[in-house]
Amino acid sequence: MSEVSAGREAGAAEIASLLERIQAGDREAFMTIIRLYQQKVFVLAYSILRDREDALDTVQETFLRLYQKAGLYKPGKPFQGWLLQMAKNISIDHYRKHRRKRQEWETSKPIDEIPLPAEPSGEGDSPASDLRGAFAWCVDTLAERQKMVFVMRHYNELQFNEISETMKISIGTAKSLHFKAVQNLRKRLAPVLGIET
Amino acid sequence: MTKADWAALLADDAEEGRRRAMSDDTDRRPECRAEVEAIERLLKETEAVRSEIRQAAASVNWDALPALIADRALAADGPARARASAPGPLAWLAAFRLKPALAGLAAGLLVGAAAMYFALRTPTVRHGQDNSYYASGEFLDRAELEMARRNALDYLEKSQYVLLDVFDASGQGTSVPAAVRSERARDLLQKKKYLNAQLERVQMAKAKAICDQIELLFRELAQIDEELPAAEMGRLRDYVEERQLLLKINLVKKELQSGV
Repeated sequence: MSEVSAGREAGAAEIASLLERIQAGDREAFMTIIRLYQQKVFVLAYSILRDREDALDTVQETFLRLYQKAGLYKPGKPFQGWLLQMAKNISIDHYRKHRRKRQEWETSKPIDEIPLPAEPSGEGDSPASDLRGAFAWCVDTLAERQKMVFVMRHYNELQFNEISETMKISIGTAKSLHFKAVQNLRKRLAPVLGIET
Repeated sequence: MTKADWAALLADDAEEGRRRAMSDDTDRRPECRAEVEAIERLLKETEAVRSEIRQAAASVNWDALPALIADRALAADGPARARASAPGPLAWLAAFRLKPALAGLAAGLLVGAAAMYFALRTPTVRHGQDNSYYASGEFLDRAELEMARRNALDYLEKSQYVLLDVFDASGQGTSVPAAVRSERARDLLQKKKYLNAQLERVQMAKAKAICDQIELLFRELAQIDEELPAAEMGRLRDYVEERQLLLKINLVKKELQSGV
């Protein structure tokens, strides 16, 4: 994912200075922060929402919120964790709203018009595309915290310390949640992967 | 392999020695090897999702997005920020950035100053401490004058009755006994003592003059407990008539009734 990651890591002093300028209404400073982190926010949002437009909306919403709340950032705390936490919360809100709307829409439609999710077929000879769909479906159905850790670890390629900062949990908890997520995925995908449970 | 081993393996943070031991374990035990292979296959699927994310990210114009977001942020925040940055009457407070301690101190000073102001400037009745009330000097002066006016009226009214008794006694018809008349005269003399201070006011000059003349008559009447002979009573009546005391009393009374 290095291609889509920010070109460089900003130092804490640089970030603090940029945020101070943002509070004073400095457009250039704000754009600098966006350039540094926009792709990381996009990857996280896309991992959760799995939709390009929704992810872009989330990116915009995240930075708009950053612009309003730049003064709340506490210098010395990891900025990326703070920003991604904001992005995660916005993505989850978006996801829940979207899911509720989808459920409402589905309940108002005849059953044969509802697009069914790509559930694992349970057959050993499933094609690769089925496996990908089943995998996505299984990740989506993980418990929220397990899903967040899995997504951040494998899609965002964050280190466990970064995940713990973003989710405000200990590193040990992050590792434990990751292990549980993998275990659950392995169990659910066993028939598709052709492995014994 | 324990759960902790698996967690460490997945987190990729097992120590080198432990990693080698786990590797040996998976080589020796087919079920462990199968499990590792299954997880490797599983995690390989994440590469497909990463590829999907790369494709989605590649289609975004990252150079244009910051300007777009900045425009939106500034458009939404512009009016609010302009309002906030407009120097108001208390703009100098912004220099302090209202740090909690300073803000608390400033608030304390303001509250204290306000309390002192109201405590010292506003005269209030405090129950259980001081029941006196405040009135302006002008109001008190007017009240005293009004009291003097009423007391003088009352005095003149009663004096008039006593003088009329003198006239009745000097003519034919029923009259008040001399002892009663004497008693009334003494009462009025007593009242006059208290009235004197009030009659000292400029506005009460006429009333004072008539009251002083009546007082002389009452001093004489107060000493007479027995019925006087007709000639003596005639002399007193002449005194009243000569000085037109009853007429003067009526005039002063009317003046007092209409306000001094």
